[in-house]
Amino acid sequence: MTEVGPGRRFRLLRGAHRTLTGLSPAFESVLAGLVGLLVGAAIMYIWGYDPWRAYFALLRGAYGGSYEWASSVARGVPLVFTALTFSICLRAGMFNIGAEGQLYIGAVAAVTVAMFKLPSGLHLVVGLVFAALAGAFWSLGPAILKLTRGVHEVISTIMFNWIARFLVFYMVAYVLVDPHQAQRTIAIPPTARFPVLIRGTDLSYSVFLAVTFALFVYFLLWHTATGYEVRAAGFNPTAARYGGINIKRTVLLSFLLGGVGAGLAGASVVMGLPPTYAIISGLPQLMNVGFDGMAVAMVGRNHPIGILLAALFFGGLNAGGRVMQFYGANPVPLEMVRVVMGAIVLAMAIPELARMLPATLRALQGLKRLFERRPHVQEGAK
Amino acid sequence: MLALLALPVLAGQQQLKGRVAVVLDVGGRGDLSFNDMGFKGTDEAARDFGLEMIEVQNATAADYLPNLRNLARTGQYDLIICVGFLLGDALSQAAEEFPNQKFAIIDSVVDAPNVMSIVFRENEMSALIGALAAMAAAYHGYPAAGMVLGIEIPVLYHFEAGFRFGMDWGLKKYAEVTGETPDVKLLYTYTGTFSDIAAGKAATEAMLAQGAVGVYNVAGPLGIGDLEAISEYHENAGTEFGPPYYFGVDANQDWMGGGKHGLASGMKRVDIGCYTAVKSVVEGTFKGGVISLGLAEGGVGISKVQDLVDFIQFGIDGGSITCDDFYPIMANWARNRATLPCWIWQAVDELEAGILDGSISVPTANTVEEMQAIRAEYTLGAP
Repeated sequence: MTEVGPGRRFRLLRGAHRTLTGLSPAFESVLAGLVGLLVGAAIMYIWGYDPWRAYFALLRGAYGGSYEWASSVARGVPLVFTALTFSICLRAGMFNIGAEGQLYIGAVAAVTVAMFKLPSGLHLVVGLVFAALAGAFWSLGPAILKLTRGVHEVISTIMFNWIARFLVFYMVAYVLVDPHQAQRTIAIPPTARFPVLIRGTDLSYSVFLAVTFALFVYFLLWHTATGYEVRAAGFNPTAARYGGINIKRTVLLSFLLGGVGAGLAGASVVMGLPPTYAIISGLPQLMNVGFDGMAVAMVGRNHPIGILLAALFFGGLNAGGRVMQFYGANPVPLEMVRVVMGAIVLAMAIPELARMLPATLRALQGLKRLFERRPHVQEGAK
Repeated sequence: MLALLALPVLAGQQQLKGRVAVVLDVGGRGDLSFNDMGFKGTDEAARDFGLEMIEVQNATAADYLPNLRNLARTGQYDLIICVGFLLGDALSQAAEEFPNQKFAIIDSVVDAPNVMSIVFRENEMSALIGALAAMAAAYHGYPAAGMVLGIEIPVLYHFEAGFRFGMDWGLKKYAEVTGETPDVKLLYTYTGTFSDIAAGKAATEAMLAQGAVGVYNVAGPLGIGDLEAISEYHENAGTEFGPPYYFGVDANQDWMGGGKHGLASGMKRVDIGCYTAVKSVVEGTFKGGVISLGLAEGGVGISKVQDLVDFIQFGIDGGSITCDDFYPIMANWARNRATLPCWIWQAVDELEAGILDGSISVPTANTVEEMQAIRAEYTLGAP
């Protein structure tokens, strides 16, 4: 009974090793977070602010009560979607930074439902479908360019972000403009809004959509054959192709699914965040939600469950950060709050950035090859 | 390091009588115009009445409502001031949720018993600028005066209506003094933007090509583009002062571009609006409703020497210009103003006095229909 065979002992060791490696991501995150907080505290101290009080305000403003929790969750909802956009494509081996543009397009598509009337509920669903399709449509451009012409997705998604930005500027100013309030678009009617979940807060039913979408992505990527193919293609495209996986299919699928996510992010902002329910000229509510999603994805280790937790953390930083501005005898101005947030986010993203190093290098090499290709062509032409 | 952090510096706080919060637009501080003036006015009032003031900025438009809620929830603020009409939506919701909290908003009307809505009679100062522009055009023999506006919203109708009335008044005055009947047209463009500086430049260039004596900026930051077009025009023509002129808005913008082209600014004193709101709370006269500030209340005005001195100081404090710029700007500004005869400046003062004593009333417009009626009355060369 007490005798432990060599095989069994080995298995035990392996189990312990697994437990440790399984724990390490959480441990790493906590450690990175502490380092970030410390750096932020040092910055505030140097500039003459009281870090303890500021962090107390941050914590209280983020998770100090039901109102604060609701605010933090509400701020995290759009980030869940855009983080998933980035992660799905990263898992498939691509650097998709197009969530920002797809989000704008999705938001505009959602606003168009204000032009017709439908019964409550159905109107909301139609808006979501519009936004999802529009987001997917916008991701189709970079996907097709990559598949047919080999255009690197980093370049094409950046371009498409700018096109989306100015297209949406135009739509907001000339097509969807509210004639009585020219600084914004027509407002989405109550029949197509996410109902507010807790009265007096920003939290709406959109949170359920975000969680459902995250779970769906998790199930798809880790529990279906298609998901396995996507991840295999991302892990090692050559081996995957050798194994009979259709890389073009996985690229297209991950781009489209990412686009759906980003489109829904746009919808969750304009249909789920009071009080305006419209796009304001200059897109101040949408700006950077896509890029912030990338940071959320990295802190969440590019895993849907991790992303849900990371989004809650980011939402907390957002909701609590604003409270730092008006707490205590020497409140921290917004600019300083953002510097501190930046330090925390950077520290938390470092472990995953290091892990993504091979993928990052691959992407950079792809870009390098792209720029090297041009002189070759010219030499050939001569 | 930790030991250092563990020693929070507890500043000895003097006993303050109350607290006010000022919530700024997404533009934030540093615009040397709207937001900075809102801050300045609240800050001055807080110091004069011994209050504690905090300033809240918004990273995005989605922060307006949460920030107002967070402030109101503390129940510690005697007054929360919202600077800018973009905060209107958020405030109407927050005012309903917190009926016992006193709010004030600049430039927008929120219909709630606990909100003091402060608006300005921009038509009055625009009339002064219009009269000045029309007389300058007639004096220098230019066929037109220009106006570059932002998005076509009711607030901007106040400017257009006042400017039209002022031009008409100025042309009549010019005829009365000189005996000639000048023919000066109004050129105006609604650019549809409050942020696209290039649109301001393009609109100004088109107006200068049609012989505009100057351009009145009614689109905030587009003025930078307006002024750029005017400066380039002067460079190409080899002139340093004189027409075409730049007419600033909201803040005193005469000092911009070294003071060479800014003839006068139609000032909208957001700082006085904020000061008025704080004062009303301190004196116990605060009540919901609309407060309209015009020339008589000092809420609007045309820039004078003292305003320029104050605003250059404001720019130096803000770091956008240095102390060494002070005298060169004053000298340039004086030389530019000297390109018009004294009687024109006196005529502008006469119009101002007339508006102040009520003998002259400047029309205004709040709807498209009212605006069209004014356009029909003061056609100024347009069909």
